[in-house]
Parts: sequence; C-alpha cells; structure tokens
Amino acid sequence: MKISDDQLEKLMATQSAQDVKSLLALRKLVPSLSQASKLRQHLDTFSGKQLKLKLGVVHTYTSELLDPWLHFSATLNQLDLDIYHAPYGMTVQESAPTSGLVRHSPDVTLLLLTKEDLHPAFQTPATCIKSADKQSVHDNAQRAMNGLVRRLRDSVAGHIIVTLLPNPASPGLGLYDCMAENSEAQWWSRIKTTIASNLREQFSGVSYLDLDQLVMQVGRDNFFDPRLWYSSVFPFSLDGALAVSNAVTTVAAGIYLPKAKVIVLDADNTLWGGVIGEDGISGIALGQDYPGRVYVDFQKRILSLQQRGFILALCSKNNPDDVDDVLENHPHQLLKNEHFAARRVNWLSKSDNLKSIAQELNLGLESFIFVDDSDYECSAIRHSLQEVEVVQVPSRPAEIPTCLDALARLEIVSLTKEDQEKTTMYAQERLRKSQLEELTETGGSINDYLKSLNMKMTVGLNDMSLVTRLAQLTQKTNQFNLTTRRYSEKDIAEKIGSDGSFVYHFSLADSFGDSGIVGLAIVERVSDSKVRLDTFLMSCRIIGRLAEQAFLATIILNLKSIGAEELQAEYIPTRKNVLVETFLPDNEFYQNVDGHYIKNLKTDKHILDSDFPIIIEGPFSK
Amino acid sequence: MNVFEQLQEIMATALELPTGAIKENSTMEEIEEWDSLGHVHIMVALEQAFDLYMDVDDFAELDSVPAILRYLESESVG
Repeated sequence: MKISDDQLEKLMATQSAQDVKSLLALRKLVPSLSQASKLRQHLDTFSGKQLKLKLGVVHTYTSELLDPWLHFSATLNQLDLDIYHAPYGMTVQESAPTSGLVRHSPDVTLLLLTKEDLHPAFQTPATCIKSADKQSVHDNAQRAMNGLVRRLRDSVAGHIIVTLLPNPASPGLGLYDCMAENSEAQWWSRIKTTIASNLREQFSGVSYLDLDQLVMQVGRDNFFDPRLWYSSVFPFSLDGALAVSNAVTTVAAGIYLPKAKVIVLDADNTLWGGVIGEDGISGIALGQDYPGRVYVDFQKRILSLQQRGFILALCSKNNPDDVDDVLENHPHQLLKNEHFAARRVNWLSKSDNLKSIAQELNLGLESFIFVDDSDYECSAIRHSLQEVEVVQVPSRPAEIPTCLDALARLEIVSLTKEDQEKTTMYAQERLRKSQLEELTETGGSINDYLKSLNMKMTVGLNDMSLVTRLAQLTQKTNQFNLTTRRYSEKDIAEKIGSDGSFVYHFSLADSFGDSGIVGLAIVERVSDSKVRLDTFLMSCRIIGRLAEQAFLATIILNLKSIGAEELQAEYIPTRKNVLVETFLPDNEFYQNVDGHYIKNLKTDKHILDSDFPIIIEGPFSK
Repeated sequence: MNVFEQLQEIMATALELPTGAIKENSTMEEIEEWDSLGHVHIMVALEQAFDLYMDVDDFAELDSVPAILRYLESESVG
C-alpha cells in the first residue's frame, strides 16, 4: 500500500530503524522513491553504527534499477552498501582475477540469474519438453549452476547469494497444471530444490534465495512489471524490487550483524490475550475463537523460531503459580515449561530479570530480543538496556502472529543439528545445575560433581562435514575465546583442506546428554618445528567442566606426534573475553617480550590426566 | 508546490541531483545523470507521485522537462 502523508509523518518521527521496519511491515507499506530517500535521510541521522558492506551483483537481466531499494532496505537493517554491478550478462567471466567483481572484493555477491541461463530448453514452454528429455535437462541445469558457482566461489571471498527469476506467467496448463502429469509447477519446484540442496551440500558460504517465496508473499500480479520487463529487461515492479532488496539485505544482515540468540517473551497479552492474574485460566483469550486463535498462531510461530535455533525465555510480572497453571493445564497452550531455557515470573523489574537471564544462560544481552506488549516495559528496556532489540507486540490482535517476521536477525542462513537441539541442551544444563546444588548442599565438592556427571570427551581433526558448525562457533563465541577471530564456512573449509592448518574440535557427553560440537582450536604451521595457536574457543554452555585442559592436552599430544617443538599463542583482549585472560599462563605458556606466548613442547611435561575418558575420533593426522 | 516544483523534486531524487539542477527547459541530452536507467527511475517515480499508470510507449517521448509537463497536463495532473 502507498504511504499517505500522515503515515510518512509518523514514520519520520520514529526513533529507530526497527520501528520504521515494523511499521512498514505491519501496514504493508511501500514507499515511493522520494519517500524512501526521505526515510533514509531520517534514519541516517540516528543510526550511527551502520556496517559498511560491499555488494557485487552478477546479473543476466537489468539490476541497476534495484539500487535505490537495496540502499533503502540496507539502511533499515543498519547496513551501508557499496554496490558494484558486473557488465550485463557477464557471469563466468566475472570469476577472472582481473574482473571488476574480484577487484570490488565483495562481502556479498548476488547472482541474479534466469533459468534460461542454465539450459536452452527453458526457452521453450515447459509443457513442450518431452518427458524423456526432462531428466537430462534437469541434470544439465544442475551442472551448469554448480560450474558457475564453483568458479565464483573460487574467486571471491564473502557470501554468495544465488537467485533464479521466477516465471512471471501462470503455468502453461493454467488452473489444471497441478493435476497434470507434466505439471510445470512441480517440474520447476523439483529443479529448484535439487539446485538448492546441491549448493548446500557442495559449497560453503553460498545461499539459495528462493524468489518464489517472495512472489507468494507479494502476489505474482504485483511482483512483476511487464512494461519494464519488455522495455528495459527489468522484471520487478516497485513492490517486487522492494521485496527482493529486503530479502537480500536480510541475508547479508544475518551473516554480518551480531547474531540474535535468545527471544525473551512476555506472557499476558503476548502469549495469550488478557491478564491471567485478573481473568483466570478460563478467562484469558487462547483457543479456537477470535482473538484467542491469534495467540495460538503466534505460539506456533515461536515454536518454529525455536526450530531455527533460537532459545526461548519467559519474563512476566505475575504470580508464578498462575503462569504455571496455564503452561501446564490450558488445553490450547502450545509453549510448555520445557520450551523455555530460562524463566523469570516475578515482580522484579524486567531489566533486572533480563540481566539475570543473561547470566544464567551465559549469553550477552546484545544477543537478546525482547518481546512485550507494554509501552512502559518496551521503553524501559530500550532506555536501560540499549543493546537489547525490543519488539513491541502490536495492539491489533490480527497483526500479532506475524509481528516477528520482519526481523532480519531472526532469519538464518544455515541450520545445524546443534541449533535445533539447543533448548534441550539448555534444559539438560538446568538439570546439571540442580544436581550440583544437591551435591554441594550435602557437602560434596566440584570434583565430586564432575565425577558424578560421567563425562566423556570426543576429539576430532579436520572434519569437512562440520564446516557449518565450526564456522558458527567462531561467529558466535565471545567469552571463552582467546583470539575472537571470525571465520566464514569458506575460510574453515580452506583451512581443513590446507596442509598448513589443523582444525580440532570436540564434543562432550555426560549422563544428561550430548553437548554436540562445542569446542574448536585452529593450529597453523609456522615452520617444520613451529606451530601457532590461531584460535582456541569453547561454547559458554560447558564452561566450568575442565574440558578446556583436556582439549588442550590432547591437541598438544597430537602436535608432538607430528614433530612440533614450539607452540606459539596469543590472547587478544576484547570487552567479553576476560574469562580467558590467564588461560595461557595458567597452562604454562611463557610470555615473550613482544607479548606473545610460547610453549616449548620438547621440554613440556604437560600430561593428560583428566578424570574422564577422551576418545580420539577418525584419522588424527594429515 | 506547483507541478513543475513537484517534478523538480521527483527528478532530483531519481537522478540523485540537487533540485536546482532541474530547470524548466532541461532535456535528457543536457543532463548526464539522465541516462536510460535514470529515465526509468523518473518514469516510475512520476507514476507513484501522480497516481498514473503510464504506457511504456510514452516513455521515450518524455525526454525533456517541457515534454513531461505537457504530458502531465494532458493527464490532468496539477
């Protein structure tokens, strides 16, 4: 919908990019070119810390007309784009070392391709392709895509976003298409999903951005502009251009902005309508009628966010028993006790509660998203904890279920096993804590506790199948991290593939469950006898279980076995990694005059004396 | 704001120029930024600002400020 003068005034009075974004999304507003430029100027006045990113666009249809919209949605996501457009139609050529794209050294490379680029058969109507030929068209299209992405992957660093232009016309067989044996929609969907899963399996740092999803969101008739397509080879209408730009900058933000990890939810008028303390369990709105069904749908969406890997926490000013009653006994309540990694149901201030949740989960407040309906609570958090992203639940119930959809930081670009099991792991942690409390109450020591866990550590080396998780660890780990070097999937894959690097990881299992991959160390060869500890980090979940010593000792044993005599290391202080300030001296590294640390492995008496078994997995050498 | 002033603002935004760079007699030939892409930006911005749905065949003829003003008048804008 167009933005009226009144609405523009309201938008120009906002105080954060997030407010502008949610207003636009909720009311489905599409700014005109001049409105967009006014809003950008307004946002530039207060969003001081925009991240500069270089975007390279490789395209086989006109892409330059996207620029104002790319800049606009980048500003909404706190990004500042420097855009390079490859010459029209140049794709493989742009992978040459002297190409404009390579010289631009993009942080994000966007491929705007059409299916005709992959195989000439797509120039004829899909219904005209003989079924005998379909498999070969399918296979050749895959090969063409893989070949192109391979060339680009080898020549540019940064993330690559691949798109294919959806069909602007309805399927050749019209309304019957879905029933037809040679259904066009089904054929296209099969090609697209194979391409996407190939990209996921064979490359790191490559996303397939499914423009069909945007077509569904916007509607085909509104997404394309045939006049611009036929006259200027630009397919998109204004709505379409904005949707594409939003999606591209969202992916870029998901990769380069600090990751969100925790969603803290209010209860009254957020998870259900009404106030449990006043309305009682039978009086709150939650169920099959309006507005109760709104809240059921919102809870469903929150559960999907948990499946994306976000941790849920509950923070409500209520009597704990009232909230427990709903969580346990309300027939339509989907979010149960076990879905929340932390809970604060009390009458303390929400900012104190958020701080204590952060402490309990061992996560920084900048990874928090706070969801609440109250003006007072939202502005209090905005004021007192500026690092927390605040989302106010809309006052119109019908707008609630989708109110988190416009948040770029809730979009993910990869999904690991650990992501999906995160809350289970935090729930296990809660059980461990209560075991520890029980033991200390009866006079037991920390060592008794650690023994009682029956821990078992598994250490592995250079495992290509873990690239996604290992890169994620470098991106997300802030506290137990000696050097805080961030690596992309591509960086990690290169290190694993290189003779000069050793990428170690470990996981930890105990009687409560398996932690998944929680530790990473990268060792670089400096010379025949010298190696350097480039990265040493551990997820905050397992701090305090002495895993770090065992991991380091295992690595040192392995390095000795391949002839290393000197291990160099460094500690790069950040605002968050004080925890490891003395880790190197504590483990008998000696500091040089230049501040670097060294451990002489020849004379080192470091021995492996852990109380738990360490299993070495797979080939432990190159 | 009269129609010319509105047009001035629209074109300046579309071409990323100061408003003063758009004069009552400006033509596509004189303004370097007014290339074929800039032209599409202007056309799309005109549609939004004046609530028009333009015929793509008209695009090419609207290559000067006077031509655009005549067109807007014929569409009874202003």
